[in-house]
This record gives sequence, structure tokens and C-alpha cells, in this order.
Amino acid sequence: MRDRASQQAALAGLGRQALSGTAFETLLKEAAAVAARELEANQVAVLERTRDGQGMLARAGYGLPDGVLGGVLPPDPSRLARDLSAASSIAAEVGPRFGVIEAHSGERDHFTLADAEFLEGVAAVLGAAGERAGHEDLVRDSEAQFRELADTTPALMWMTDAEGDVTFVNQGWLRFTGGTETAGVTFAASAHPDDREATIRLWTEAMSRREEFRCEYRLRHAASGGYRWVLELGTPRYSGGEFVGYVGTATDIHERRTMEEALRASETIWRELADTAPAMMWTTDTDGLITFVNQGWLRFTGTTFQEEMGESWALGVHPEDAEPMLTSWEEALADCIEWEGEYRLKHHTGEYRWIHDRGVPRIVGDRFVGYVGTAIDIHERKTMEARLLEVYQREHRIAETLQRSLLPERLPPIEGVALAARYLPGARGAAIGGDWYDVLERPDGRVALVVGDVAGHGLRAAASMGQLRNAFRAYGMVEASPAEVVARINRLVMSGVEQVMATVLYLVLDRESGEVAWSAAGHPPPLVIAPDGARFLEGGRSVPIGAADPAVFREATAILPPGSSLLLYTDGLVERRDTPLQDRLTELAEAAAEARGELGEMCEHVLAAVLGQADPGDDVALLAVRPLPVVDTEISLTLPAEPGSLAQLRRRLARFLHATGATELEQYEITLTICEAAGNAIEHAYGPGDATYEVDVRFEGGELTAVVRDSGSWRDKRGEHRGRGLSIIEELMDDVAVERADGGTLVRMRRRVGEDRAA
Amino acid sequence: MTAPAEIVLDRRDDSVVARLSGEVDMSNASYVRDQLLASMPNEAIALVLDISGTRYLDSAAIEVLFEVSRRLGRRRQELRLVMPGDSPLRRVIELTEVHTAAPVYGSLEDAIG
Repeated sequence: MRDRASQQAALAGLGRQALSGTAFETLLKEAAAVAARELEANQVAVLERTRDGQGMLARAGYGLPDGVLGGVLPPDPSRLARDLSAASSIAAEVGPRFGVIEAHSGERDHFTLADAEFLEGVAAVLGAAGERAGHEDLVRDSEAQFRELADTTPALMWMTDAEGDVTFVNQGWLRFTGGTETAGVTFAASAHPDDREATIRLWTEAMSRREEFRCEYRLRHAASGGYRWVLELGTPRYSGGEFVGYVGTATDIHERRTMEEALRASETIWRELADTAPAMMWTTDTDGLITFVNQGWLRFTGTTFQEEMGESWALGVHPEDAEPMLTSWEEALADCIEWEGEYRLKHHTGEYRWIHDRGVPRIVGDRFVGYVGTAIDIHERKTMEARLLEVYQREHRIAETLQRSLLPERLPPIEGVALAARYLPGARGAAIGGDWYDVLERPDGRVALVVGDVAGHGLRAAASMGQLRNAFRAYGMVEASPAEVVARINRLVMSGVEQVMATVLYLVLDRESGEVAWSAAGHPPPLVIAPDGARFLEGGRSVPIGAADPAVFREATAILPPGSSLLLYTDGLVERRDTPLQDRLTELAEAAAEARGELGEMCEHVLAAVLGQADPGDDVALLAVRPLPVVDTEISLTLPAEPGSLAQLRRRLARFLHATGATELEQYEITLTICEAAGNAIEHAYGPGDATYEVDVRFEGGELTAVVRDSGSWRDKRGEHRGRGLSIIEELMDDVAVERADGGTLVRMRRRVGEDRAA
Repeated sequence: MTAPAEIVLDRRDDSVVARLSGEVDMSNASYVRDQLLASMPNEAIALVLDISGTRYLDSAAIEVLFEVSRRLGRRRQELRLVMPGDSPLRRVIELTEVHTAAPVYGSLEDAIG
């Protein structure tokens, strides 16, 4: 028998292997072999509890019968022992959750206390290794998920490991900086030389405290060959309570930064002027009458010293400013207190310029003797402020007008579906976003829905949004496949001069069957709100539009359960800096699952529940759709006399016939006969321009009546084919009448539905 | 726009198997005809057209079946149809006597065997 020392040495060896990072599977096998040797057991099994707790999965073993490894056993440790007719058995728990390790021997009639302790030791080593392996899997999963998301997101994103070394940057980052490496990027490589030191310092400080990192700096920009200001935000990420690195984003804030800098530069000049340049100066007597102005003042006004003396206060002051300025001056004078004001004063060139004027009471001994004042020219700063404000306001106004005019004011009424949409502009000043939504009815009778978000803000984003919206309307009409629509628009965008990037969800809904097909280009997934809960439609994911060419755009399909609604939205609804996207999506699904009532109320409920009281940081567009059950007893259509209209007619009939309760066979046969009549109408339509035909179908008292009317006249049957069409109509309908008149041909058909027909 | 139809081809021994899915009407009948005729190499003896997954056929499509059968016949080749017994298309196929031009089988195996 092995002694205790040998067992302890074996245990130590196993522990070393676990610490050195040996793969968990290998460790399990090794543990089984070591235990068999040290316990002189015939069989050793490492069993993992299945998730449902109903069985034990044989993960590793020694001396086990064929077929046991990898199989699930009942949660009864003596099962294996019976196979062996073992004389003795021993078992120990591996970890708090994992399972057990058990050993059986056919020769030994008992195991000792030392044996039990040894096996406990093996189990403890395996338990710790198992915990770690599970933890590492978790980190790996979440990182892979992040990478996938990051690469389909237009923002610039990065990730570091716990040492702060960059392990990943997304496609957006590479596009922006023109880099090719997805790892090992540093500030030293990509930041403006003047910003590097400060940026690295901020980063190092944040890292050392594991705090949020926030920094504005100039980042290399490949497209312009220069640098652009970005706002970079980094958040520490934790896994299982352990710090594993940072994840961060960078946002282009170049426009705002340059505006602010221009303003700041002009303020600096103003301060320098006040400090060093000979200011405009004046003095008054105790009544407030001017007693002196200096050369600086006279140089400004171009007046003479004499003209400025005495009651000259309103002289040269802009008429609009004179009244308020004099009122405040007289109030100050009455109390002998300091006075200051900003007003426009006539410059010697004839223009009015803004000046800042300040007077303080002069006290000689205890006596007030008048005021002494200085004034400086603040025209540049003042006009810069006004211009800046104007630019902001104008751009905001235009962008808002543009966006409102581009979004459908009311959704078009579309038969068979309820629709609702909401648009909330973001809370940030001029920063109107490029979110949009749209709905259109395709020629094949399906409904196309689109929700998109153009990267960037302001006028350009709004204008790009308008172009994209129109492109979707155009391609949506001609292309049946969502992925193909998105691919074509990507090609269109990539061939353009302006850089446009947008995330888009394009979805096509079949009202009759509830079948949906969609393509999500960098966009969050659509949400299905079914009677039994809400879930996201996964799949069909691709890169955003404008990101790459050529690019592969995927498409996925699903069937909506009856009574479901579908919610499409832009990421303003779910994106928030302080919360992982996955959590926000979960919140959205939970909020939507609780929503009741009509679609508009549902939208309101979702917005209130997900955004709360706070204004959205970014724009939010929301589009909800719900296929309605059919209640019509009649349809009446006017269709273009061309073969392509037949598919459209069939869709309408399918929906109508489905609601009458007709069997699948009846539906097919009725559709066929009506379409055969329509086919005749199309063949015989003549005349220039847009010929049409009409179809009226009515269902009453179990009987279906269909009338197909055209403006042509049916010529004699040509060949077997036409005869066949008519014979199909006659055979499959109870009653057919063809009426020819000058104005055209009319076919009237009747058929009873839902009962046995005479052949 | 035309009706959506798709043909998937497969070679089984001496036969070409064409699975027709979607809808065939006057807007795409000639396209379907051309695809079927082009799918037949000279050495094949039969074109087995499986319409189990076909949602819609109108008289223009029926005409295509007759024409394909006629043209294959001239080349000593045969058109066979596969249609399950409960297909909604069955009555129309019978009504228009397609079976006189192309034998109809209940399953693919029967049609090939």
C-alpha cells in the first residue's frame, strides 16, 4: 500500500500542474490517474453534476468500462461500484458546484482515513481549477461578444488588458486613424505630439486608481491627413469582481472644439488689451458731467475734446443702447456706487462698436468728487459670441426643419397593419441627429420598414439622412431581398464623394403569414413583443452602411407569432455610457413585455420605462408595427395591366381568402381562377399609356363573388394555352359569365366556400 | 416585378432532378421554361420536375409543362412530375390533363426508380 508521504507528493504535483495553467481537461485525466495509483483503486471517476441536477456526467476516469466516459449517469455514486462488485468505495466533493470524484476498489476491503484526506485534497485542487476555468471562459465569451458589437458600431472603440496595453481597437478606429494594427496601439503613436504627454499622464493616473478615464485630445485622422479633436472615455471593466482592463470609445468633437478655441483666443486678446494697451478713459464731476476724456477715447470716437465735455453721455451711443445705459448710469450715480455697462459706441470709421465701460466713484478724503472710468473695445469678442450663437441657432433650426420635413409627418395608412412612430430629438443644443424611420408598401404586398441612424450630428447628418431615406424608398420598391437592398445602398453610398456612415435596420413583413425578413447593418436587433413575452430577432447582422466596400450583408427570417407587435428603434434608446448595451437591451425587452394597449401607448410606455425622466442624450426614433386580423368582406382593386401585378393580386387575395375560412385547396383554386381572368385582362389590354383592370371580390353568406373588368376586348382564343385558362375558370367556379361590351370585357364568377361542391 | 421562383438542380443517375419552389405565372413562365430546357444534357434520359414545394402554378405554367415535355420528347427524353397526393395543385394538373404529357409520381424515389 502507498504511504502518506507518497500521497502528499502526488497531491503537491497535481497542485503545481493546476497552478501552471494546465488545461482543465488534462488536469481531470491526470487527477483520475493519480488517484487510482495512490489509492490502488480499480476505477476512478470524475463526475460533473448536470445543469438540471438530474444526473452526473462522467468527465474523466481511470479503468472505467467502455461507454461510461462522456455519458450521463444517475446521481448515485454506487452505480459504478456495482459494475465492479467493488469491495470498497470512497468519494469526495469537487468544488461547491462541480461534482464528485470517486474511487472503487475490488481488492481492498476498506479505505483509510488518510485515503479519504488524500481524495479530499485532489477534489479541492480540481474544484479550484474548475472555478478558474469557468471564469476564464466567461471573460473570453464577453470579450468576443464585445468585439462583434464593436465592429458593427460606427464609434471608435478600444479595449485594454489589466496592464493597460491595448488588445483591441475596432474597425471604426482603424478607419479613422488609418492604422492597420488592432492591438498594441498607444497614445504615443496616434495622438498629436503636443497632446501626448498630457494624455499619457491622465491615462496613467486613471489606470493607477482604476477610475474612469476622460480626455480630450487630437487624434491622427487618416482621411484629412491631419488631426481631429476627439473626446475619449474609458471605463474599467470587471469580470467576476476582478479588474480585467479598460473598454473605451472616442467621439469626434472637432467642430465644437475649434469653435470654442476661436472664442477663447478672442477673449485672451481682450484681456491683454485691458492689461497693457492704453485704455479709453474718462472722468466726471459729482453731477456726472464729463470733465475729461483721454487720447485713447478721442482716437476711438474721432471727436474733439470739447465735444465730449459736459452732458455728452448719450453722444455716439447706439440709439438702441442709449436708454438702458443711461438709466443704469443714473441709478449708480444716485447711490455713488460702481457702474459698468456694455454698449455700442460710434467709432470714427462710422460703424458702431461694442465697448465695455466701467466707472468707479473717486473719493478724496471722505468726499465723493466724481467718477473715473475706463472703457475697452470688446467688439471682436462680442460679435464672435453673437456669431457663434447665431451659427449654432441657425444650424439647429435648419437641421431641425430639415429633419422634420424628411420624417414622415404621419405614417401612411397601410391596410392590414397598425403603425406608430415616435421621434425624440436629443437634448444637446445644435446636435440634431440623423435618425429616421420610414414605412412603405412593396409591390408584392409586403410592408417594408426601415429605421436608421446616420453617424454624426447637425446639418450634414440630416441631409445624408434625407438621401438615405429616399434611397431606401427606391431600392425597397424594386428589390425583394432586404440584404440586397442594403448592399445596393452601401454601394451607392461608397461611390459618393461625401463620407456617410449609417446603421440601418431594414425589415420586410408579410402581413398574411407574419413572416419577416430583415438585415441589420450595424444596428441593434428588432424586438418582437409576442403575447407570451418579448424577445429580440437575432441574426441578419452586418457592418454599417458606408463602412466597407465590398461588404457582405446578411439577412435572416422569422415568423411572428399571431398577435405580436414588432418594435424597431435607434440606439439612442438603448445606448448609455454608464450601462452595458446588453443590460439596456434586457431593460428594453422587459419594458416592452409589460406594455399593453394600442401601439401608440406601447411606444410611450417603452420610452418612459427605458429613458425615465431624463432627456435622451442622443436622438431616439421608434417605429412599431402590428399585423391586424382581417375583417374585410370585400376587396376592390385597380391594378396596372402588366404581368407583374399578378403577384400583388395574389397577396391581397391570400389575405382576404385566409380570413373567409376557406381551405388551402379552395384558396389556391379561387386565387388561380381570379388570376386567370386577370391574366386575360392583361393579355388583351390595349391602348397607349397606363392600362388598368379592376378586381372586385365579395364574400357573403358562404358564397364568393369575383368580378374582373378590363378595358380591352377578348380576341379569339389563340392556341391551347388560352383555352386552358378559360377551362380552368369554368371548371373551378360554380358559375362563370363573360360579358363583352364596347368599353371592355367583364368576367363574373361565383363559388361557394367551405362545403363540398359538385364536381 | 415578376413572381418569385427558384429552381434547384440535382443529378441522379440518368435523370436530372429539378426542384421548383415559389410561384410561376405569366410573368416568369418563359424564364422557368428556359431554365428547365437548359438544365438537360443530351445524355440524360429524364427530367424529374419536383413541384412538391411549388406554391402556385397558373395556365401559363401548365403550358410550359406541355412545351417542355414536347421539346424533350423530340430529343427522346422524358418529363416526369413529382407531386404528393394531397397537393392543392393536383386538381388543376388533372383538369388540364398534364399527365397525358408527363407522368405524375407521388414521390421523388418513384419518379427516379
